[in-house]
Amino acid sequence: MAIRLVDLGTVSYLRSQTVYHGVAYARTENTPDTILLMNPKEPYVCVGFHQEVEKEVDTDFCRKQGIPVLRREVGGGAVLLDSDQMFTQWVMSPDRLPWNLNKRFQIYARPLVQTYHAFGIPAEFRPINDIHVSGKKIGGTGAAAIGQAEVMVGSFLFDFNTELMARVLKVPSEKFRDKVFQSLQEYMTTMKKELQTVPDREEVKAIYIRECEKALGEEIVEGALTPEELAAIEALDEKFQSDEWLYQKSGLLREGVKIHQDVWVTESMLKARGGLVRAMARLHNDRIEDVSLSGDFTFHPHRLFSDLEKALLNVRLDPDAIRERVAQFYEDHEVQTPGVEVEDWVTVLMSLQQKVE
Amino acid sequence: MADTQEIRGCVIRTDLYYSVDDHTWVQVNDDGTVNIGMTDVAQNMAGPLLHAKTKSVGTMRKKGKPVATVESAKWVGPVKSPISGEIVAVNEEIEKDATIINRSPYRQGWIVKMKPTNLDEELKGLLTGDAAVEAYRQKIESEDIKGCEHVEGFEA
Repeated sequence: MAIRLVDLGTVSYLRSQTVYHGVAYARTENTPDTILLMNPKEPYVCVGFHQEVEKEVDTDFCRKQGIPVLRREVGGGAVLLDSDQMFTQWVMSPDRLPWNLNKRFQIYARPLVQTYHAFGIPAEFRPINDIHVSGKKIGGTGAAAIGQAEVMVGSFLFDFNTELMARVLKVPSEKFRDKVFQSLQEYMTTMKKELQTVPDREEVKAIYIRECEKALGEEIVEGALTPEELAAIEALDEKFQSDEWLYQKSGLLREGVKIHQDVWVTESMLKARGGLVRAMARLHNDRIEDVSLSGDFTFHPHRLFSDLEKALLNVRLDPDAIRERVAQFYEDHEVQTPGVEVEDWVTVLMSLQQKVE
Repeated sequence: MADTQEIRGCVIRTDLYYSVDDHTWVQVNDDGTVNIGMTDVAQNMAGPLLHAKTKSVGTMRKKGKPVATVESAKWVGPVKSPISGEIVAVNEEIEKDATIINRSPYRQGWIVKMKPTNLDEELKGLLTGDAAVEAYRQKIESEDIKGCEHVEGFEA
């Protein structure tokens, strides 16, 4: 059976989530595998299935700004979605896609990557489920089983408001927010950034569909939603807007903010004998790429405090490597930190990693 | 110790009943209740689990309806009940640490206990023993699954 393409153009923020869920829930054995395309009309925050909204999103800010929040039945973290993103959602029979999720992500990412290539953007699939351009993320993808369907979600990032993305998240401090913002600036890219212009949606769509036909080995035919699917979508419109659905409690909490597959912003604290020690850092693979230290301990002479942060740059997240760097710093500079020992620095910095695992 | 068979490193316990397409197993207990969980193949496919959320005790479930949802870095999905019945207990430990399912999918990582309503009939639709092993062999080979890898402390 040919794959059905349903391009809904611009839809409300709510429908940009409820349509693919509804198509999945309404799926029967006679439903064709479906590719949905759409852009949300207005910006909104979308949290992962098992996230707790109040812990992840600055809901006061969102309320004041009129930015809605929705929960999806796909995993991952809170993201800002808006009209500069064209969603590419697959709702398929489990038989269409490989059981092996790594292969499934490869198949799903291929048409996205190939379309970027057609525009001269050197995108590549970065397992498990990112798409990168020269180490910067241009999109993430997700997979879920919803109803009797297997669902894959992702998007084309025409442009992205990194400032608003950093603003809508609930973070421990404004300094942390700044680090998230800087990291998003540094490690995310868009079609606009790569091309200095925003490409035409119809052109992107045409190439993408051609590439999907190649990746899936099946003809793709434009179609429409059925009355049964529309009824399922309408029912979900109500459910997704209910407080019961949005504010449900969950045990899933990650203290760090994932920028992309290899980059996290996170912080950790330690109550040392000499006082509280706090480390806030950007981790890139297994290294501390950037770190800010603070706390209420004594550090003498204070003018050398930022030198300790510099000394830790690019250190491997390994107790021995950190110990060596810190010990060397103490030896070179003769600083005094009563009640905060070399091992305390090792502990607080190593616990950064636990926050993102 | 229950009998086990391995297919490309993926462990199948021959004393359990399986819904191969839904990646779930059923263990029939002496008191007539059943334990339900995810298979070794399923936990391998999903990868390290970040979270598991079960339905509440007292929930009635028809065969095929979810008794829990699980999330890994790769995938979110329901654990579909292979049988109909009432959830009489949930494994609270997996809600605190879902990786228990990765370490012990058939024992410590059980997901819910149910009081079945149509067990004899529904067991006929599940596979056990050599038939289950054979079905998994075909599935694993047809999908060209490279093999299961187990975390330290894994138990079958």
